[in-house]
Amino acid sequence: MYCVRKVTDDLYWVGANDHRLHLFENIHPIPRGVSYNAYLLLDEQTALFDTVDWSACRQLLENLEHLLAGRPLDYLVINHMEPDHGASIEEILLRWPQVKIVSTEKSFMLMRQFGFHVDSHELITVKEGDSQSFGKHQVTFVAAPMVHWPEAMVSFDTTAGVLFSADAFGSFGALDGKLFADEVNFDRDWLDDARRYLTNIVGKYGPHVQLLLKKAGGILDQIKFICPLHGPVWRKDLMYFVDKYDKWSRYEPEEQGVLIAYASMYGNTEAAAQALAAKLCEKGMSNVWVYDVSNTHVSQLVSESFRLSHIVLASVTYNLGIYPVMHDYLLHLKALNLQNRTFAIIENGSWAVKSGDLMQNFVNNEMKNMTVINERLSLASALNESKATELELLADGILDSMAQKET
Amino acid sequence: MNFKTTQAHEEFRAKVRAFAETEVKPIAFLMDKDNLFPEDVVKKMAEMGLMGLPYPKEYGGAGLDVMSYAIAVEELSRVDGGTGVILSAHTSLGTWPIFAFGTEEQKQKYLVPLAKGEKIGAFGLTEPNAGSDSGGTETTAVLKGDHYVLNGGKIFITNAPKADTYVVFAVTTPDIGTRGISAFIVEKGWKGFDFGDHYDKMGIRSSTTAELMFNDVMVPKENLLGKEGDGFKIAMATLDGGRIGIAAQALGIAQGANDAAVEYAKERVQFGKPIAFQQAISFKLADMATKLRCARMLVYSAAELKEHHEPYAMEAAMAKMYASDIALEVTNDALQIHGGAGFMKGMEVERAFRDAKITTIYEGTNEIQRVVIASHILGKPPKSEGGSSSRPKKPAPITGVRKRHIFRDGTPEEQVAELVAHLKKDGHDFTVGIPMDTPIAQAERVVSAGQGIGTKENMKLIEALAQAAGAAVGSSRPVAETLKYVPLDRYVGMSGQKFTGNLYIACGISGAVQHLKGIKDASTIVAINKNAGAPIFKNCDYGIVGDVNVILPLLAAALDTGEKEPAPPMVKMKRPIPPKPEPIGKRYVCGGCGYEYVPELGDENGEIAPGTLFEKLPEDWVCPECAESKDMFIEA
Repeated sequence: MYCVRKVTDDLYWVGANDHRLHLFENIHPIPRGVSYNAYLLLDEQTALFDTVDWSACRQLLENLEHLLAGRPLDYLVINHMEPDHGASIEEILLRWPQVKIVSTEKSFMLMRQFGFHVDSHELITVKEGDSQSFGKHQVTFVAAPMVHWPEAMVSFDTTAGVLFSADAFGSFGALDGKLFADEVNFDRDWLDDARRYLTNIVGKYGPHVQLLLKKAGGILDQIKFICPLHGPVWRKDLMYFVDKYDKWSRYEPEEQGVLIAYASMYGNTEAAAQALAAKLCEKGMSNVWVYDVSNTHVSQLVSESFRLSHIVLASVTYNLGIYPVMHDYLLHLKALNLQNRTFAIIENGSWAVKSGDLMQNFVNNEMKNMTVINERLSLASALNESKATELELLADGILDSMAQKET
Repeated sequence: MNFKTTQAHEEFRAKVRAFAETEVKPIAFLMDKDNLFPEDVVKKMAEMGLMGLPYPKEYGGAGLDVMSYAIAVEELSRVDGGTGVILSAHTSLGTWPIFAFGTEEQKQKYLVPLAKGEKIGAFGLTEPNAGSDSGGTETTAVLKGDHYVLNGGKIFITNAPKADTYVVFAVTTPDIGTRGISAFIVEKGWKGFDFGDHYDKMGIRSSTTAELMFNDVMVPKENLLGKEGDGFKIAMATLDGGRIGIAAQALGIAQGANDAAVEYAKERVQFGKPIAFQQAISFKLADMATKLRCARMLVYSAAELKEHHEPYAMEAAMAKMYASDIALEVTNDALQIHGGAGFMKGMEVERAFRDAKITTIYEGTNEIQRVVIASHILGKPPKSEGGSSSRPKKPAPITGVRKRHIFRDGTPEEQVAELVAHLKKDGHDFTVGIPMDTPIAQAERVVSAGQGIGTKENMKLIEALAQAAGAAVGSSRPVAETLKYVPLDRYVGMSGQKFTGNLYIACGISGAVQHLKGIKDASTIVAINKNAGAPIFKNCDYGIVGDVNVILPLLAAALDTGEKEPAPPMVKMKRPIPPKPEPIGKRYVCGGCGYEYVPELGDENGEIAPGTLFEKLPEDWVCPECAESKDMFIEA
């Protein structure tokens, strides 16, 4: 049975929802599922914008058969070749042997690499600024390299004001009937997953997202719909989401606040993290978020690191090094290019405290534009009364650095 | 450049030449003889608008180009090299850094009067141990509240003591080489800022040159030029421009000597005709004229590049080097043409001969100019062997960058007196104090005992010193834990109490790592220990190698001021975080794969040397990861 929704005149969502997949890209947990969005344009010519993951192919085919109702599929536009969208291409080619494929040169190369038999079809290679008419609808293609693959492009239907934005403006989370962002409470129920999606998948490519935003900036008043490949379609309050993207890709925090990420073996470092959290709240900074790195997925830690302005790293010393799970979190932050944060450090060790210096060196030398404040809390096994002043100074140091940032 | 100056330039030259001939020339001999600074001439130069030639009118300048400035220096030097350098040092060295790096407030306050010529500017970089290698700078500036405390001295400073405004370079972060140097605007007349005697120089005697001495000079924070750590960058950029001035000066001196020689050679008759027409002399004159023309082209083209904001550092170095090298040759030949007459005092060529020599030496010797030029052609050497002073010489000790000043000379009394003098100079006020039982973590000062203190009796020495220094008492871990001389909450260390105040006096403490970590945020660490090899000495600001039984009573006596006033709330003497190196250029990201080109690293496989800017990569360079071409890269 088909399951489609109308986006606007002539345009339909023909994608599918997935609640069965545990790990997106086999790495990021998706407890709220994910949607694979594909869109069908029924103009004088018919055009499918992207396909879906192989697991959702049958749903896509049923949707297409229903809407096409016997008409041929004339064009297949591929904005992004990653297999969660491109995997069903071969099936489309087999079922509609006359279909013409519109995509970038690199994208065609990738199709061949993935083993799709595209060369028996008419291939229309487009580059920045090319356009294609489907009858009423005129579509212009804009290159979006490294957002977040090199072949990516976005397509803009200038007639209807629809931007097919590929992975940009996407989110984790299955749609479950609600297609539009204004049909859900996005800020309450979706923003965290949208941030976790963007920062973990595209985080590294901030400069290229900025480039794309600059291109979009020129036509912003003409964009009526943003149709991403995952998550809800935007037709209201577009600037809300564009602003978020701008912040994330410039590596600017959304909020003044403190993320306390702790690595604790027996609860003593954890107790120090909790004491600091309480101290900060007591002093008036209550936007404090405490996470145990050992049982919080790193994608969540990354996402929170992009959200907040301050990060406290609290780690035991483990084999004379940083606790491995904490180290892994730091490696993720580095790989995803996070910048412009202020760090504070709590270190613990029972005979040779090393983790503080090692974490400070990592932040200073491996990452960009980071500040580590001078104040540090050093524990010998556990927090005790004699460290009260140090804890106080650490909290004050964090608050001071916030005050400095503000002025 | 059309290889020819404009009519406006030549009209301007005529104006300056007329001024030099009528106002400077008549007194040049006397100024040279008696070491006199031409006060009236400089005033008139200000009235003519010569003192701010290349600066915008809105800031009191003349709004002319760099070429006009070079012409002015050249024409003044043609008559008197000393007067030329007054203008050059004022304009290029004393004024330009404020124009280029100053805040709007600094420009209004300092640039405007300088450009108008109401004030004279100077530049203080050179020190006894920091000439070509400014990494050796020893003048220090310590931030204390809303001002820096400047100590040290500068030598060979042109325009001192006549100048009113000095751009002075001082170390704000020790031990990290040139990255720790900052620039300050310092005014004549500030307390503690004095001058040494005017030097008695071989040439350019109408320009004054003196030593600068800074003794606890309070420089307001807002007089920091640029950011902390920008000093070296500012100095190098300033010298780049200054070289055009010196090149113009050398050119002018040589031109003056040349003109005198031509005139003399046409008048002096030997063997029945003017010597100018003897081939020996005419060939000399031909060579001299050729060298002058060549130097002039170099000077003017560098000035033109600077005017158009094109890279000009190498061209300015070439101009300075060549013009000054040939200035020696031309003045030598000019004097030779004069024969015995040229050897006599009062002859212009005699003075020019002496004046010329300094131009191959100051604002970067010509040897350094060759270093500069070569570095532009060759880039950085592939691997740095031996020490460049811009890099830290050694890894910083556990307590961070420290002064490590150990007093070794003289008797224990003298060593203690010197220590106390240094502490006072750094701003520690011993008329105030805190109770001895102040918790360590809140204490502004701590006197701490290590195992080297000996028997428990000797804790009296510690207490007496704490009393005299207005400090709390602390200890090392064994002194509290094993010897039990003090309660457990008074031991200092990573596992114990952390000391984050201003003054830590470690007595008989050897400096175990865990102890040192507990004092790494201390502003000043003083070590007193018998064992000269103790690690504490590598981690201290001041140290005395000696027996605590001898040193502590002496130090207590020296610090004792009777009853201490209660200390005001602590103002932490903040220790700067060593600044990170400024990136040498922008990073670029590949649109084909996300690879980031980092100029500091270059691209080893592509045989791109570390330090190569993205803009300087060859056109056919491709991404080492995915082989995309350069145009697929965007700024990171």
